[in-house]
Amino acid sequence: MLFQQIANGIATGAVYALTTLGLTMVYGVLRVLHVAHAGIYALGAYVGLVAFRFLESFWLSLLVAMVVCAAAGILVERFLYTPLLHLPRIVPLIGSIGLFIAMEEAFRIVAGPYALAYETEIRFLSLGLGPLRLTAPQSLIFTVTMLLLGLLWLLLSRSTLGLAMRATAMDADTTATFGVDTRLIVSLTFAIGSALAGAAGVLIGVYDNQVWPTMGSIPAYKCLAIVVLGGLGNIPGSVLASFLIGLAETLLIGVVAIPFPRDALAFVAMILVLMFRPRGLLGKG
Amino acid sequence: MIPLLEVRNLEVTYGEFAAVRGISFDIRDGDLLTIIGANGAGKSTTLRAVMGLLRPRSGQILFRGAEITREPAHLRARRGIRLVPEGRRILPDLSVEENLRLGAYTVPRPGDVADGIERAFTLFPRLKERARQAGKTLSGGEQQMLAIARALMSQPRLLLLDEVSLGLMPILVEQTFATIQALHRHGATILLVEQNARMALAIATRAYVLETGSITLSGTAADLAADPKVKQAYLGG
Ligand SMILES: Nc1ncnc2c1ncn2[C@@H]1O[C@H](COP(=O)(O)OP(=O)(O)O)[C@@H](O)[C@H]1O
Ligand SMILES: [Mg+2]
Repeated sequence: MLFQQIANGIATGAVYALTTLGLTMVYGVLRVLHVAHAGIYALGAYVGLVAFRFLESFWLSLLVAMVVCAAAGILVERFLYTPLLHLPRIVPLIGSIGLFIAMEEAFRIVAGPYALAYETEIRFLSLGLGPLRLTAPQSLIFTVTMLLLGLLWLLLSRSTLGLAMRATAMDADTTATFGVDTRLIVSLTFAIGSALAGAAGVLIGVYDNQVWPTMGSIPAYKCLAIVVLGGLGNIPGSVLASFLIGLAETLLIGVVAIPFPRDALAFVAMILVLMFRPRGLLGKG
Repeated sequence: MIPLLEVRNLEVTYGEFAAVRGISFDIRDGDLLTIIGANGAGKSTTLRAVMGLLRPRSGQILFRGAEITREPAHLRARRGIRLVPEGRRILPDLSVEENLRLGAYTVPRPGDVADGIERAFTLFPRLKERARQAGKTLSGGEQQMLAIARALMSQPRLLLLDEVSLGLMPILVEQTFATIQALHRHGATILLVEQNARMALAIATRAYVLETGSITLSGTAADLAADPKVKQAYLGG
């Protein structure tokens, strides 16, 4: 029972990590709260489902969803945020919320208001460590997440492109004076963050066996809380906070059975942490 | 011969306020040009406009005869212009070595990047000791060394130096100027902007005086250093 809940918590945390990474990366380069990121996550789930029906391969459908979401992310950056950046912060935020609502309505109109079944036969090895066993879908989620996090880490810490991405997030003007096309880097950051959110959407669709128009609603605000909890713009902080919240949710509610709405937990944790560390778990200063 | 950099009637404004009011100057290969002027005269604004971080309201900037007035900063960097900005602007969470690697972003061959890092460490051995430390943990003097070393990574054609002596201890000021002079002797073309007019005029070949956005005097550094008005206003009488 306990170990089963830990396994659930790890899978949940993994999906949170994939989703929040994009948010924190986007905040890092543009300093906007990208609420519509959760719309990209739902888009990923829908595209993954459609692609799966045509291609009948989970891995190919994952790839298609990530590519489509990357392209969608670039469009959002170019046509929504960049034109609004010179205005007060509240303007891109409102634009982002508006886009998110529009995306949910678009999913409803195109795919219908009800949940669509996401039938996949997942044949995947089942990971385990001692008494801790992950089911096949949980193992898949965990493996895909670790793979993508590993690739992202390699890119950011070992490549010149990653160096330019980190530098752009710290000080875009100065970075440009060394020959870095920082606008391109911002677009690329959006593309990567959105691809990760798309992957998260596919994984959740597979895990829950369904996708629905408002599946991004709860992630939209919960992931903001997780990002703030980890330290805005801080990538390791986001990953840490994602797994902490994933585990805390399943353990406190599944094992201890505290009478508390599960989706509010991230906010309680955020408030508690901010009282003692105003910049989040791994935030600076 | 075409000047390396030619600035014609450059006007730069912040909102309605004109910080630079139609100045013209040029730099030839091998020059060590200095622009001296009081705080707020428009020196940093001029350098930032040359680098492409500010869009001029009017006027022209030509680099090796090509008009670059509207070109973004990263393309000017690729032409070989480098700025050591006022306040150093070290990337705080990148290590010293990563800051240097960023400086070498336009250098295509990894071997050349490694050579550049070696050269930087030879020029400033302190940076080698601190290679893995985050930029923000360096002292002011070390940050200044890093800012200069970082700008030299790509072996720029034109080096723009903005108040590199600001906030340094006197001994470090001497060292910094000695470094600039050495770079110039090795063939670097440098535009040096300074409040420390005495030191700047001592090492420069030519000089301009900037007052509230306009150039009021120009000539060889030696002539300006001997000019009574310059003496009175900038060299403490
Ligand atoms: N970002 C800015 N916004 C508005 N005014 C500015 C800005 N930066 C500089 N100024 C003004 O422009 C003038 C020139 O500034 P600057 O170029 O920094 O002078 P200097 O480098 O010679 O000290 C000053 O009056 C300064 O107050
Ligand atoms: Mg200045």
